Amino acid sequence: MNNIISNLLRFIILLIVQVAICQHICLFGYMSPALFLLALFLLPLELPLSLQYLIGFATGFVVDSFAHTLGVSTFSCTLMMFFRPYIAHLLNGSNNKFENIDRPVPGVKDFRWIFLYTLILTSIYQISAVMLGTMTFRNFGHTLLVILGNIFFTVFVILCVEYIFYPRLKNEI
Amino acid sequence: MNNLIEFFKKAFHIIVLAVLLILSIVMLGTSLSFNEHSLARGVQSIVGPIQKSGAGMIHRFRLGPENEELVKQNIELMRERENMYIEKDDTTLTEMSQPDSLHRERIRMYDYTYAHVIFRTVDRAFNYMIVDKGAKDGICRDMAVLSPSGVAGVVTDVSSNFATVRPILHPESRISAVVTPANQNGTVIWEGDDPRVAYLEAIPQHSEINIGDSVFTNGYSNIFPKGLLIGTVKEVQVGNNASFLTIKVKLATKYTDIYTVYLVENLFKSELDTLKANFKDE
Repeated sequence: MNNIISNLLRFIILLIVQVAICQHICLFGYMSPALFLLALFLLPLELPLSLQYLIGFATGFVVDSFAHTLGVSTFSCTLMMFFRPYIAHLLNGSNNKFENIDRPVPGVKDFRWIFLYTLILTSIYQISAVMLGTMTFRNFGHTLLVILGNIFFTVFVILCVEYIFYPRLKNEI
Repeated sequence: MNNLIEFFKKAFHIIVLAVLLILSIVMLGTSLSFNEHSLARGVQSIVGPIQKSGAGMIHRFRLGPENEELVKQNIELMRERENMYIEKDDTTLTEMSQPDSLHRERIRMYDYTYAHVIFRTVDRAFNYMIVDKGAKDGICRDMAVLSPSGVAGVVTDVSSNFATVRPILHPESRISAVVTPANQNGTVIWEGDDPRVAYLEAIPQHSEINIGDSVFTNGYSNIFPKGLLIGTVKEVQVGNNASFLTIKVKLATKYTDIYTVYLVENLFKSELDTLKANFKDE
């Protein structure tokens, strides 16, 4: 119960920050962070898969409504939620030294795990979102720049937020 | 039967995934023609007021009231500029007055109002902006949109409280322009890459264009008054088509940082359009 409330609260806060602030940031004309992805990254991995997809869909829809890009984030978030369990599984590998493997949180996982997990999932989201948003292969160089800029900025912001808000978990383990 | 149920239990999440992905692709399809579909309109009617109040909050933070006064003063001054009027001989007055006195009548051709941008895109292939005034405030289609620094775009769609603006940063945007001091007429288009740069087409190769020359509207379109700054020449190349130059224009309007815009209405537009329509018929 407590977990549900904290997850819900995190979603609401991150969505407000995304819609009110992050969406309007456009560094150098092409770098804008998708901070709301953090809320999706931190969802418990043991949730039923179909529920995870639904949450991704709904989150994308809210972001899309405010960005006037109906469908772009919705599609990308759903796609990303599909890949999420596989990426987590892949990163866990045969290495079972983590007792609490289903919490993708700093402290529970080491930095390398968190970094790769964030980087891969952000890349899936941004490639899909930017390609759907531009809908063209013309000026692919520019599109690529936007994708790379967005991935870099998003990963940077998400890691900063994660390590600012979750450092004390390290001591608990 | 049991097998079937078993199969559905196993594949349930895949079915959900497929349905959601298809649903989002359908939404994507509707969003490509913004404002024409009930879904996009419905979302806009919920989100619009929230965004408006959000933009308003940030606006207050930025010394809003004072700025608002200055915008109004600006409009008063801009309305009195030379290019807002057409002049013609007033026959009733000519006979009575001296030859050298004022016997030309000034008729107002353009009128100004202003609005605030509540949403804009710059990094897509088809960019657009939404402003916080609509049909209720007298905004209509094909009004010219200016930023404080230059030409910004054209109103393409109007709902009762909001209007959609097609900026220069759109493949279908075409603005007839004149480059000075060479005084050559051409068309400004955008090629879908850099939001700061557009291209000036149809300038003959023999014309002397230098870097830094100004590009203004020429007033042929019935939308823009003449003499509004579009941008400055950034680069001149001899194009593939040997008779014309390829000219890169650095746009005066900074789309990444646009808030207050001025909207210009051509008071004689319907009259001029009727004339043009007749011409096409013949």
